[in-house]
Amino acid sequence: MSATSTSATADKRRTAESSKPAGAKSLLTKDDCLEMFRQLYLARYFDVRLIKEKKRGRLRGTLYSSHNQEAIIVGSLFGLRPTDWISPIHRDMPCFFLKDARAGWRNPNRMGMSIQEVCCQVWGKAGSPGRARDNWSHIGDRDKRIMHSTSMLAGTIPVAAGVVYADRLNGGDAVCVTYNGEGSTAQGVFHEAVNFAAVHKLPVVTVIENNQWAYGTPVELEVPTKDVADRALGYGIPGYIADGQDVFDVYEKVMMAVEHGRSGKGPSIVECKTFRAYGHGDHDDDRANKYRSQKEIEHGRSRDPIAVCRKRLIELGYIGHKDTTAWPLAEGKNASDATNEDFPAEVVEYLTEGIEFALESPLPEAEEAGRWVFKENA
Amino acid sequence: MSGAAEPAQGLKKNYITGLREAIDEELGSNPNLVCFGEDIGALGGAFGVTEGLMDKYGADRVVDMPISEAAIVGVAVGAALNGKTAMAEMQFIDFISCGFDQVVNMLATFYYRSAGKVAMPVVVRGPAGAYGGGALYHSQMNEAWFCHSPGLKVACPSTPSDANGLLKTCLRDENPVLFFEMKELYRKPQIEEEIPEGHFVPLGKASVRRAGGDVTVVSYGNNVYHCLEAAETLAAEGVEAEVIDLRSLVPLDEEAIFTSLAKTNRLVVVNEAPMTCGFAGEVIARVCDQAFDLLDAPPVRVTRLDTPVPWVKPLESYVLPSAEKVVAAVQRVVRF
Repeated sequence: MSATSTSATADKRRTAESSKPAGAKSLLTKDDCLEMFRQLYLARYFDVRLIKEKKRGRLRGTLYSSHNQEAIIVGSLFGLRPTDWISPIHRDMPCFFLKDARAGWRNPNRMGMSIQEVCCQVWGKAGSPGRARDNWSHIGDRDKRIMHSTSMLAGTIPVAAGVVYADRLNGGDAVCVTYNGEGSTAQGVFHEAVNFAAVHKLPVVTVIENNQWAYGTPVELEVPTKDVADRALGYGIPGYIADGQDVFDVYEKVMMAVEHGRSGKGPSIVECKTFRAYGHGDHDDDRANKYRSQKEIEHGRSRDPIAVCRKRLIELGYIGHKDTTAWPLAEGKNASDATNEDFPAEVVEYLTEGIEFALESPLPEAEEAGRWVFKENA
Repeated sequence: MSGAAEPAQGLKKNYITGLREAIDEELGSNPNLVCFGEDIGALGGAFGVTEGLMDKYGADRVVDMPISEAAIVGVAVGAALNGKTAMAEMQFIDFISCGFDQVVNMLATFYYRSAGKVAMPVVVRGPAGAYGGGALYHSQMNEAWFCHSPGLKVACPSTPSDANGLLKTCLRDENPVLFFEMKELYRKPQIEEEIPEGHFVPLGKASVRRAGGDVTVVSYGNNVYHCLEAAETLAAEGVEAEVIDLRSLVPLDEEAIFTSLAKTNRLVVVNEAPMTCGFAGEVIARVCDQAFDLLDAPPVRVTRLDTPVPWVKPLESYVLPSAEKVVAAVQRVVRF
């Protein structure tokens, strides 16, 4: 079956299966799998620690938690080449420091941001890549091939298409992975951008983090089909569905989409099914426990990505049931319950370095507010 | 290529030829320039601005886009983010409302958000303006929206050589520019002129179209001609108007206005956009802020009424600035 079948009756899961590169999962070594597990902890710890920092009064601003969605971040980034582009949005904060993290978390030459830069951004310090001019996830780094987003959802997808269009003109084969919520797919610009990318067979991988809730609106009021991946049918492109709780499944489906794009076949949509653990932002945590039923929340959080990954690693024989010193039981714990002992020591140490750096860093000078509106022409 | 005869080298050229030659010259000299727009390739643009350029430079660099203004601007931004210079054509500048978010939130703010690390050499251009019976959605002058969005430069040429020289300047600028072309001037034979080789017009430099000592009339775009016509009528009455063509609104050549006012002490500002929050109001506000002492009379605006642009001629004429309305405004200011 063609991966670009547009038949209304085409089963996209089978479409995806049939275009699967042989043994995508087998490309991962034991060390890779353990590194992915470690990165899941790092993404979770980032979330847990920031919530704690805010509760301690050491941090201001709204937090957009990626709790329960870390497998999407880690799994989608892990197989990318350093030269590939990404465009994370508000719930993907760990993407900034996990891009190209395989090259070494502290490697200054890797194609991702340092934890110091990301923490400076969170704390609004001058060491932020954007010198704290816009907040939270609105940072980027062209040299590291990380796109800058705005608050206008799906607005990064046409920009991603332009980035890879330019790359192709230069003879490159870079792919751009864009991150979006299921609610973003209701934006007009989503259609414009994916349509353009499909017409020109551009390697734009649109990851949809379907966490069931767009702020306070459930998915069934945002999308008329059971699967958001069905959007792909209208563009004649693959619409893969991944288990968003399973880092290896996300990796595999995203890699299919990446290879599809890199080989010149065009864009894809990868829907990752997941559930938003908390509110839209931390300001919404209390209300999110009211507009969503306890039953729904419990069900949505019943498969913690750390637990799902642990189970798989045990099955593979890569870790043991009792390896809870190296791999502590962080799963299922909210920030209020979790302690540093619930995370591998190297994870705590790495993030602490970033936070301490940010706390000691200066604020930008007030006068900077008037700078960089226009560039002086050379 | 259409059968429209184009003037030979060294002869007088029309406004649209000035634009086409500017884009042609830049595509030739800047291999990084890529153009995106609806029907700009095979058709050569709805008005023919890009006629022949796809054949000359390839469909990769003169790209026919789907009817997707947000994608046209967004893709141009992405290309610029990855090192290209981009030109995005709006088939009519009215349609930019469909891509507004990408212009004001993505494009305009990029340099600011990235703390001066990512410049955006992107020109968004398109045919603008009324007086041709284009009705509500093919007549707009929405330049004020973009003057009000920090990070964007805004240009509006009124002559063939300015169209040529300004557009080349904008395509070499490292900042995003909104470029308003006057479609009623595209093929107007009366304004054809020679365009010198290697002609460039800087942004932020106004042009005195007519010298006069009694009143300063500031305008831009198509309205410059209404002001010049008014000046002839006024001259017969013994009132000498100095007509200033701003050519670019951001940056604004305040000095040119103040220098003229030092001589005339009277000000009329004309724009074809609606009055409320229009650019004429901004010009007057700056004069009041910085050069109030130069004024001997309250400044007056001549603008479109605060209505949409209606279709049929009597309605359209009723709401738009005209030479007669400029004459009346000048008389009011001079007699104060």
